[in-house]
Amino acid sequence: MALKSQKIKRDKLDIVSNIVVLFFALINIFPLYWMFSNSLKSSNSITRMPPEWIPQHPSFDNYVQLLSSQNVISWAFNSVFISVLTTVLVVFISSLAAYAFAKLDFYGNKVIFVIFISTLMIPKDVYIIPLFKIMQNFNLINTRLGVIIPNVALPFGVFILKQFFDSLPNALRESAKIDGASEWTVYLRIIIPMAKAGIGALFILVFVRMWNDYLWQLIMLSKDSLKTLQLGIASLQTENVPNLAFKITGASLAAIPMIIVFLCFQSYFTRGITLGAVKE
Amino acid sequence: MNSMIMEHNMIYKAKLKKEFLKQKDGYLFILPQMLLFLVFMVYPVFEGLRLSFYNVGFVTKTFVGFRNYIELFKDSIFIKAVLNNLQFVLIVTTLSVVFGLFISTAVFDKTSKYMSFIRGCYYLPVMITMVAFSITWLWMVNPAMGLVSHVLNSIGIQNVNIMGNSTVALYILIVVMWLFNLGEAVILYLAAIIGIPQEQFEAAEIDGASRFMVIRFIIIPLVSPTTFYFVILCFIDVIKVFLAVHLMTAGGPNYATTTMMYLCYQEAFVMNNMGKASAIGMMMFVIVSLLSIIAMTRLKAKN
Repeated sequence: MALKSQKIKRDKLDIVSNIVVLFFALINIFPLYWMFSNSLKSSNSITRMPPEWIPQHPSFDNYVQLLSSQNVISWAFNSVFISVLTTVLVVFISSLAAYAFAKLDFYGNKVIFVIFISTLMIPKDVYIIPLFKIMQNFNLINTRLGVIIPNVALPFGVFILKQFFDSLPNALRESAKIDGASEWTVYLRIIIPMAKAGIGALFILVFVRMWNDYLWQLIMLSKDSLKTLQLGIASLQTENVPNLAFKITGASLAAIPMIIVFLCFQSYFTRGITLGAVKE
Repeated sequence: MNSMIMEHNMIYKAKLKKEFLKQKDGYLFILPQMLLFLVFMVYPVFEGLRLSFYNVGFVTKTFVGFRNYIELFKDSIFIKAVLNNLQFVLIVTTLSVVFGLFISTAVFDKTSKYMSFIRGCYYLPVMITMVAFSITWLWMVNPAMGLVSHVLNSIGIQNVNIMGNSTVALYILIVVMWLFNLGEAVILYLAAIIGIPQEQFEAAEIDGASRFMVIRFIIIPLVSPTTFYFVILCFIDVIKVFLAVHLMTAGGPNYATTTMMYLCYQEAFVMNNMGKASAIGMMMFVIVSLLSIIAMTRLKAKN
């Protein structure tokens, strides 16, 4: 949070700047308001020009109709399932590797880590086509597992956790080893409890990333009941849906889960962004 | 003598075995991650390279050498896509850095609540997800019932089909991408500025520097690592733009807003040209790798 002591002179320029900042902040907030307020309108009043700035007869009808006529619940379940399972797998597998890179001594430790991390910035998108073909060969197209697995392969988790593990003190670990504990026990009983903060941050980052992994989900999941929430809502845009309001209500439904997640896990999230960022 | 040599041998072997046992833990721990990495990251890249030299149909594959690449470079749509990507990346990154700095330097020393509020506002587009954000903007620029059309009508500009105009549609997309990335810039810069030690500000105050001078000569240089990190991040994030194009313009009107990733998708799943699509992917891989190398060498130089 802003340190009270960290003040520099405020002058007219500062006031003008803040007015500009607030103006653009409103430009950011407005679409959110517009999306929600339109979702509460009936479909004839939505298309009315001039538009109703405040809905005259707000109701949740659109939501009820949308939820009952489309697979929204399945879509939401799929999103949750995929995001949570990916996150759990990532946390587990990458923490094992991160622990080894940070604390264990084995031939090639540094070299392997450097090669691994050098691919950190390569997005999945550049090899998404051959990846699709590979999943075809494994018969994993149109499966949620097929969506999950390639995401667990990414080096993101190891990168974040290794930095974190590096900073953990060795004392506890060394005394446990003297007492004869195996590495597995040290990992499970000592390191993991100490790393809760880092793991929490990783959890939220991966979860959000997976929730928004649109292109991969698009090419992997064509069956409607398997689609994720983002995918399903997006497909509503191109379909000829009977109720025009479905489109904007759908957007609202797509937005709500993430807003809730962000509100509940704010602290983990801000920690996560800066963990991956500037390390001085 | 013999027994002593044998004893030494046994101790040596025991030491080797102990070393090996100590090492095996390391390898076992990294095994799952490395296995997944090799099969689902390294292998696809090589496979992508291989596929790009083939014409991949439904059942058969024919080797065509560099033909996919040559056809792409001769294709005006592909050239347009590359130019679009360039515009996207340059404009969005520059605007995000400039505005990110502007906003964070304006609010970092205000009350904590105000700072959190501003941070939240600018991060809102990311929070509501790209899908909802794109749909809402599409809704707003809709010629029949959109807000923007209404505003334009009321100041006398009639019958505007915003998304039907090639240039305007592209700029709308750029605005959407910019607002989306601005949130991240604000968060990163705010975190960096808060990390600046108080003495810097105190010294400037003693020297009688104005607010603008402090921002220009102290804050901006000190957060240059953040700027560098964000620029690379933004580049890579924007160059793979797909969702906004897919949802808002479908590459149109008339391929005016097509991007490389969108073209890749079209080639692979609409034209069923996986070979050509892989070629596009490979070219993007080269671009991203170059950026990545620049970033890595800079990081290494620092350490």
